[in-house]
Amino acid sequence: MMGRTIFIDPGRCIGCQACVSACRECDSHRGKSMIHLDYPDEGHSVASLPTVCMHCEDPVAPCAEVCPADAILVTADGVVQQADTTRCIGCANCVNACPFGVPKIDLQAKLQMKCNLCYDRTAYGLAPMCATVCPTGALFYGTLEELQAERPGVQVADSFTFGTTTVTTGVAMVVPADKVQWPVPGGLPVVEINGRDVR
Amino acid sequence: MRRRAAVAGTVVSVLLILAIVFGSRLLRDFDSALLPYAVATVFLAFGVAYRYTVWVSAPGARRLFRKGWGSFFSVANFRRAPTALPKMIATYLGFQKFLGARSHARWAAHQLVFWGCLLAAAITFPLTWGWFTFTSSTGSGPGYEMRIWGFKVIGFDALSVLGWLMFHGLDIAAVLVIAGASYFLWRRMKDRGAITGQRFAYDLMPLICLVVISVTGLLLTFSSIFLHGGGYEFLAVLHMVSVVFTLIYIPFGKFFHIVQRPAAVGMQLFKYTSRREDESVLACRRCQEPIDTAPYVENLQGTMRDLDLGFDEWARYCPRCKRVLRGNAYLDHVKKGFK
Repeated sequence: MMGRTIFIDPGRCIGCQACVSACRECDSHRGKSMIHLDYPDEGHSVASLPTVCMHCEDPVAPCAEVCPADAILVTADGVVQQADTTRCIGCANCVNACPFGVPKIDLQAKLQMKCNLCYDRTAYGLAPMCATVCPTGALFYGTLEELQAERPGVQVADSFTFGTTTVTTGVAMVVPADKVQWPVPGGLPVVEINGRDVR
Repeated sequence: MRRRAAVAGTVVSVLLILAIVFGSRLLRDFDSALLPYAVATVFLAFGVAYRYTVWVSAPGARRLFRKGWGSFFSVANFRRAPTALPKMIATYLGFQKFLGARSHARWAAHQLVFWGCLLAAAITFPLTWGWFTFTSSTGSGPGYEMRIWGFKVIGFDALSVLGWLMFHGLDIAAVLVIAGASYFLWRRMKDRGAITGQRFAYDLMPLICLVVISVTGLLLTFSSIFLHGGGYEFLAVLHMVSVVFTLIYIPFGKFFHIVQRPAAVGMQLFKYTSRREDESVLACRRCQEPIDTAPYVENLQGTMRDLDLGFDEWARYCPRCKRVLRGNAYLDHVKKGFK
């Protein structure tokens, strides 16, 4: 069950990159931003999508499962931590296995880095950097009850489909009320690439 | 798996015991004062073999283990890249160049700890097992002979520079380790990034162990030179307890990375040889940005299938395209108002 977590509402995102800048200030990866801000339909739409680690719960952390060095720890509170610097061998298994495209890798340093929900802050009850600075509330940190108290009638989903697999996550996305009973499509199977049907 | 790991641990322990017995010429060269250390190394051998077996039984590690050794024994490695492996071993295991890319200070401190520990292990393990002996035909020197498995290797004067180095090798190692471990301890107290999520037993205990071992080791020398052996017995027990604890802790804590790190060489060799064979790098199906070598991506897909992660096809797309495609799917099927 969802506890205190991040709720992402892409409909509110204005692509201002405040979250990207704030993420760099996180103590556990100072100077490097771990949040991704993508423009899915660049040139045709102003739509933007912030992506933080979704902290997959079922299957639990695919990044950690494929790691050959047991470098990725999932703490008891469900937070998927970034790679242990002593163990990570920089193989990039996690980078390429993550269904959400979250982890980053520094090939020179042989080290994976990813969003860890600003563990230095959230462990003490503070909101992550990205949610703290987001001017539109596209990134909200709190409980579902707190979100619904602030935004009456809002619905969220915490499961995503990738082909035949459904991934349940610790981080949730805001969805329209009529879509809440279905998992959110994760983009796989890919039906079209650059206007070409690839089914 | 647990049974197989226990069998592996037992076999390795028995082999070590046999190596100790025969290496010390049926215990003739075995120093009984060092028995607790020798027993701890047998436990260490069991623990490392046990944990290693459990580790390489997991799908990700198992496949990498096979690919790494497969690359090592491959014709491509021996014929086309004979220098690749020695270079990788020197770069990743010896000089740990990748640590310099993380932080120059951490690299320098880790080099001090690494070479200090390596020097100490190279001296103490064979001594503990009775493989090395230092004997003097005159009883009290200064002429000494160093023997390995009973065979004379070198003769030296205890009062010469070489003699001083031979008898103070562990003091030199202790100084190196104290300098490196102290930096890491300071960093664990001050660096906010390091403090985030650190655990006492995992992150601080190893450093404390290294410092205690090194300081008590140096104090033994201090006692014998300046205190005429005062407090030596107490210090010897304290030193022994700290070493035995650390040896037994190695397989279960942060020190296990010493055993795991060679996997980085296996992984790099696998990528290197497969790239040379294939020449082509697999490109993202959507944006054509390179992902990695095709054999590497196939190996990852195999790992994902082993783990019942039914989206292994996704590994053929780069992380950015995965996010963009997910954004498009949200845009098309979930919330049109997203526009």
